[in-house]
Amino acid sequence: MNTRSPIVVGLAVLVGVVLVALAIVYWVEPASSLPSFMPGHQAGSAHHHVKHGIASFLVGAAVLVFAWFQTGKKHAV
Amino acid sequence: MIATTLITYAQAIVLGLLQGVSELFPISSLGHSVIVPKLLGWDIHQNDPYFLSFLVATHLATAIVLFLFFLRDWVRIVKGLGRSLRDRGIAPDDTDAKLGWLLVVGTIPAGILGLLLEHKLRSVFASPESAAIFLALNGVLLYGAELLRRRATQTETDDDARIARQVGFPQSFAVGAAQALALVPGFSRSGATMAGGLLVGLSNRDAARFAFLLATPIIGAAAILKLPELFGHQGDGVRGQALAGSLCSAVTAYFAVRFLLRFFESNRLTPFAIYCLAAGVTCAIVIPFL
Repeated sequence: MNTRSPIVVGLAVLVGVVLVALAIVYWVEPASSLPSFMPGHQAGSAHHHVKHGIASFLVGAAVLVFAWFQTGKKHAV
Repeated sequence: MIATTLITYAQAIVLGLLQGVSELFPISSLGHSVIVPKLLGWDIHQNDPYFLSFLVATHLATAIVLFLFFLRDWVRIVKGLGRSLRDRGIAPDDTDAKLGWLLVVGTIPAGILGLLLEHKLRSVFASPESAAIFLALNGVLLYGAELLRRRATQTETDDDARIARQVGFPQSFAVGAAQALALVPGFSRSGATMAGGLLVGLSNRDAARFAFLLATPIIGAAAILKLPELFGHQGDGVRGQALAGSLCSAVTAYFAVRFLLRFFESNRLTPFAIYCLAAGVTCAIVIPFL
């Protein structure tokens, strides 16, 4: 686990930011206004998918933490 | 105020006492909260909104007790997490940081699976009959874990150091994901984590300690997430009973965690496996005739 590629870090940051952004979309937009490719989209529904948002935020935060650790000094854990 | 006639204070006290014990003993609190009302002839159903509000309160009480019981450990763990974030890595000798990230990694799959599957699984498997069958299967799981356990040589004298040394991040992720089994009434969250701990080479005592630490954020977060339901209209007429049940749950949870940490110093999961198997099979036979 001693390889720390800038591509991996960049990709992790990108995925993390996208997931956090998706979480905000889930919290702000009702199910009917979600893009059709997002899980939970439902035409005519005023329901806010709060739980989907929390799940997306958790994974996003985890990926960002992973990216943060990848930029640090190498430790043998 | 229909709810006041649906759950009495006596029922709330019994269910609260039961919740505190069964949440931490590896015997499925959800399964018992489905089966016991049926056995006692109470007209309480798992998916009734007022009963869910009641359960939220008792779960929150259990989580608070667990958190306070391990408060010193949590302070060390949070400091460790802070150190590792500052240093952008986990120092090899930083047990607290390693344990903290093991708990984070274990909590994420459990949290996500819980968020996405909880309602569906609870709806499908809410019947006492299915809970009894899954309780028996929980017994098989516990017994299987004892049979298949790995025995690793332990050199560390500190509990957390042993856990941090023995458990890797993939194992913690798997153990955390196994907690999702507890979404099915009859399977035990602590049972799944303890079984997972044994399979990665922890002793019974360390597996129990890891299970309790892993359970705290999940039980607490799930309860906090649903707290608005207790204070909303779903909690009308049940808040007093929920408070009584929570106090009872807190007391039994405290004694349960003390008892179990001592019990697992020299004992195994086998007695709980036998109980789950026997109770599950008996209930599965008896309940259809009630």
